Amino acid sequence: MFFYHMRMAIKSIRRNIVLSALMVAAIGIGIGVCMTAITVFYMMSSDPIPYKSDSLYAVQLNSWEAPGPYDADRPERLPELLTYRDAKALLDSEVPTRSVATYRSGFTLNPDNPDVSPMLVMSRFTTRNFFSMFDVPFLYGAPWDEATDRSGDSIAVLNYSINEEVFGGENSVGRTVELAGREFTVVGVMDRWEPVPKFYAVFNGAFEEAEEVFMPMLLNESWERQNYGNTNCWGDTPMNGFRDFLDSECTWVEFWVELNDAEQKSRYQDWLAGYIAEQKRLGRFPIENAGAEVHDVNEWMDYNEVVSADFRVLVGLAFMFLAVCLLNTVALLLAKFSGNAARVGLRRALGASKAMIFRQNLVEVGVIGIAGSLLGLGLAWLGLQGVRSINLGHYDRLVQMDANLVLFAVAISLLSAIIAGLYPTWRICQIPPATHLKTQ
Amino acid sequence: MEIRPILSAMLRNKTGAVLVVLQIALTMAVVVNASFIINQRLEKMNRDTGIDVDNILIFQSWGFGDDYNHEASITRDIEYIRSMPGVIAVTPTRSLPVSNSGSANDFRATAERFDENNVEYPSVNANTYVWNEQGIDAVGVKLAAGRSFYAEEVQFRESRSSEFAPVTIITKDLAIKMFGTEDALGKTVYDFFGNAAEVVGIIEHMQGAWIDWDELTNVIISPGVSAGPFIRFMVRTEAGRRDELIAAIEEQLPKLDRGRMIRRVEPFSDVVRHAYSRDHSMTILLLSTIILLVSITSLGIIGLASFAVRQRTKQIGTRRAVGATRMDIVRYFMMENWLVTTIGVVLGSILALAFNVWLVDTYALDKLDWHYIPLGMLALWVLGQVAVLMPAMRASTIAPAVATRTV
Amino acid sequence: MLSMQHISKVYRTELVETHALRDFSLDVSDGEFVAVSGPSGSGKTTFLNIAGLLETFSSGTYMLDGEDVSGLGDNERSRIRNRKIGFIFQSFNLIPDLDLFDNVDVPLRYRGLKAADRRERIEKALETVGLASRMKHVPAQLSGGQQQRVAIARALAGEPRFLLADEPTGNLDSLMARQVLDLLEDINEKGTTIIMVTHDPELARRAHRNVHVLDGQVTDLKPFDGGTPAVVNAGAGGGA
Ligand SMILES: Nc1ncnc2c1ncn2[C@@H]1O[C@H](COP(=O)(O)OP(=O)(O)O)[C@@H](O)[C@H]1O
Ligand SMILES: [Mg+2]
Repeated sequence: MFFYHMRMAIKSIRRNIVLSALMVAAIGIGIGVCMTAITVFYMMSSDPIPYKSDSLYAVQLNSWEAPGPYDADRPERLPELLTYRDAKALLDSEVPTRSVATYRSGFTLNPDNPDVSPMLVMSRFTTRNFFSMFDVPFLYGAPWDEATDRSGDSIAVLNYSINEEVFGGENSVGRTVELAGREFTVVGVMDRWEPVPKFYAVFNGAFEEAEEVFMPMLLNESWERQNYGNTNCWGDTPMNGFRDFLDSECTWVEFWVELNDAEQKSRYQDWLAGYIAEQKRLGRFPIENAGAEVHDVNEWMDYNEVVSADFRVLVGLAFMFLAVCLLNTVALLLAKFSGNAARVGLRRALGASKAMIFRQNLVEVGVIGIAGSLLGLGLAWLGLQGVRSINLGHYDRLVQMDANLVLFAVAISLLSAIIAGLYPTWRICQIPPATHLKTQ
Repeated sequence: MEIRPILSAMLRNKTGAVLVVLQIALTMAVVVNASFIINQRLEKMNRDTGIDVDNILIFQSWGFGDDYNHEASITRDIEYIRSMPGVIAVTPTRSLPVSNSGSANDFRATAERFDENNVEYPSVNANTYVWNEQGIDAVGVKLAAGRSFYAEEVQFRESRSSEFAPVTIITKDLAIKMFGTEDALGKTVYDFFGNAAEVVGIIEHMQGAWIDWDELTNVIISPGVSAGPFIRFMVRTEAGRRDELIAAIEEQLPKLDRGRMIRRVEPFSDVVRHAYSRDHSMTILLLSTIILLVSITSLGIIGLASFAVRQRTKQIGTRRAVGATRMDIVRYFMMENWLVTTIGVVLGSILALAFNVWLVDTYALDKLDWHYIPLGMLALWVLGQVAVLMPAMRASTIAPAVATRTV
Repeated sequence: MLSMQHISKVYRTELVETHALRDFSLDVSDGEFVAVSGPSGSGKTTFLNIAGLLETFSSGTYMLDGEDVSGLGDNERSRIRNRKIGFIFQSFNLIPDLDLFDNVDVPLRYRGLKAADRRERIEKALETVGLASRMKHVPAQLSGGQQQRVAIARALAGEPRFLLADEPTGNLDSLMARQVLDLLEDINEKGTTIIMVTHDPELARRAHRNVHVLDGQVTDLKPFDGGTPAVVNAGAGGGA
């Protein structure tokens, strides 16, 4: 019977080929637009480290001082970054399972291999727990040890791509590279690691690639490479040179802690309150009710609007778009089925039950729905190429569909087709057998 | 033409009419809000930068190696570039205007520290740039008053130092915020540490770093050259010679010294374009949405109307047989569409406003300009009438004779 | 075979209530060929629709094949229509984009017969109406009479106990009308009960029995005994 239904469906579609094509197009375009928006949105707002995102917290301290709040438009907000001196002090807390301070820099890399020309690398000064806290996979070697965090030796961890470029992908542990004129020994090589979004440092491009070289933070106290990224300062103590900058009230260091349960979290908040009280006695943290805040990974993404309002608006629009397309399809289907009323009445008179008529029309709706879905998937793919080509701020890496999304697209298209088809199909089954048979 | 029979025909097929009304209403809500956002973004992108964007090239210089001498390297590079034919001026700079990246500081008009009572001279946040004596020319901004820096005022800076040169050039917008209606030329500006600088020049208009920032046109320029080893250059060329100079610099400059790298020699206009890429993408995406949506809706209307014509062939033939003119038939369909569209756009206006309220509340977008509502209504009316015209014309060609034939 | 007692059917619209049938009683026995006549609007089609389970009725009892059908659900009614009843309409009601084979196939499909069985029935039915050679034609390629013969084939293919025909010759000229009636008589001789609505006295005469409907009621079960002159003539000509 299915094939009979199928044959009848195809005949019916051919009878109203233009109308049917329009329905397929409406479903297809609706799905295509919607899926394009959802794909970008999904990639942007996906949890970059799902299995531990609720135990990693970004730390904020309100070290800011009048004349105004840190963010004049949103006075409730604290600086997103810490001062260098606070970051160092917080590293000493025993409460969290792990603590990590980190900031970004960049410089030239001069390989000892004369065949490879000098290049620019993005780098990150941090502490050894960075790698274990964020589950960075290692290909060769390992993170530096705790002693190195305190000694600040000239050692470096390379990421996968820079190791490919400089050492052709070989195990380079023990080899040296020249960074901004200083010689560094490689202690570890990371495997591919590109969290999307780059949650541990969402400012200045949450969707850019991870840094290429990682080295102990302490080492820069004497090396004095300038930090990259947001730096916000207050106070009227003049600065002369990098040492003064490290001691200043400028905020520019990302700080993360790992807290595994609510009890540990509240103990840490107490510890932070104690720290602030102690600093107040030293004359820092001048604001009366200076406090601290911690946000877990997903809260942090929201807090810093990693997915921009523009994208959210676009996703909203995309759903409205799909709604219009579906309304369009339902209207067309109703019209088409109403044109079939006489035929359905006849079939009913000849003994077809409601269920049979329902199935017959469902097959027809299904054919249209599936054709629409396929078209939709194709259009979504084209849409993603389009999004890529207009360069949404270097978000290339976002615009690819994974298996989840394809499944989701198939599901949403079938669902749409069913939603659009069910009512007209139900309506047509209600046609009484006799009405359309009387002499017309 | 009587509306009543059309209405009663519509009421007999309520669901169909309701669907079309909803479709038109949603289309209008989307089109109105999307075109409003597009227009805002276009206005934003078309703001005057005050900079000679099209005739500037930029590049980065990265010093490396123990023997890198920042001062010597920059002095030599400037000299070399200036000697190239077609170059008007060149300045080193740490960051670029209109690039969404830069630095800003608080400044005030008195030596006293700011306090809440000091309303007469509030502290003002401004983009800061450090340029050499050719800076004003190299960026191509216009001086409304005063002068550029003198060469002897340009000093090489220490990294992370809070020194403030004794002279400065500020934009008119900043001058007004700091000194109100008074003439700012010759006045003193204080930085947060209390260092003073005399205003020696006033720029007519110029945009700073962050395009979404309210204080975008507050700019203050100090004479000097920022610390290395990383530095950018802005080079202004004679009209039309930018691209040839990009090639020349890319080719010749690295040869002068292997102790620093020259990277990303490119037109400054690329930077500006990139800064606005998000707005640009948004307008393209919104425009595509509008175009697709309008096509879907008009095709839907055409489809439904054509279908109705086919269904009603006999009825139309009968009408013609009893004396309806072609025009009567066309008018019938146009009127039917007009009725549905009218209900649709009325509902659509409400939806459009509701959608806008949601956007304003949730995403702090701007409130819809009311003009967009009547414009949207008009647009959809026209859309509906144009879409239905073709099927209506086809209906009018149905011969009266079909009334007597069995279908 | 068919027994209707005191059937009434009321159509309610916003404005009026139409009593299409009132206290309508009729018995038709197995193998009978009954012709139904009556003025337009008297309720003939309504009667056929109810007899064929296309419509429900407001009150009364209707026994079909010894079964009370008034309480049956939609599915059961569909099944009975499909297996026991064949329809022939005035306006043929063929599906224009199906060829003759597929048109005759329609009711068989809903019965869930095997493909071979269906094919055999379809070929036989088309053979019966003399159109076996045009199996692959579509209705538009046939004359009115041929189209009606296809409709008859469609009704026959299911081997119904019961054939209901609503003015089957209304759209045909007299020659074609006679051919169609010849066919119906053949079918009736093979045992199928037929109820046919017709205005044509000549055709009505060829039935076993004539029933006259007026204002939703059967006026006389034996029109031979009296009634309107036309019917008397018809009855006399019929020679029961
Ligand atoms: N669906 C309906 N709704 C309302 N009235 C109807 C409907 N069908 C038939 N009628 C009315 O019932 C009466 C009998 O109709 P019908 O059985 O078709 O007459 P006939 O076939 O004898 O010409 C007529 O008055 C007709 O107007
Ligand atoms: Mg009738």
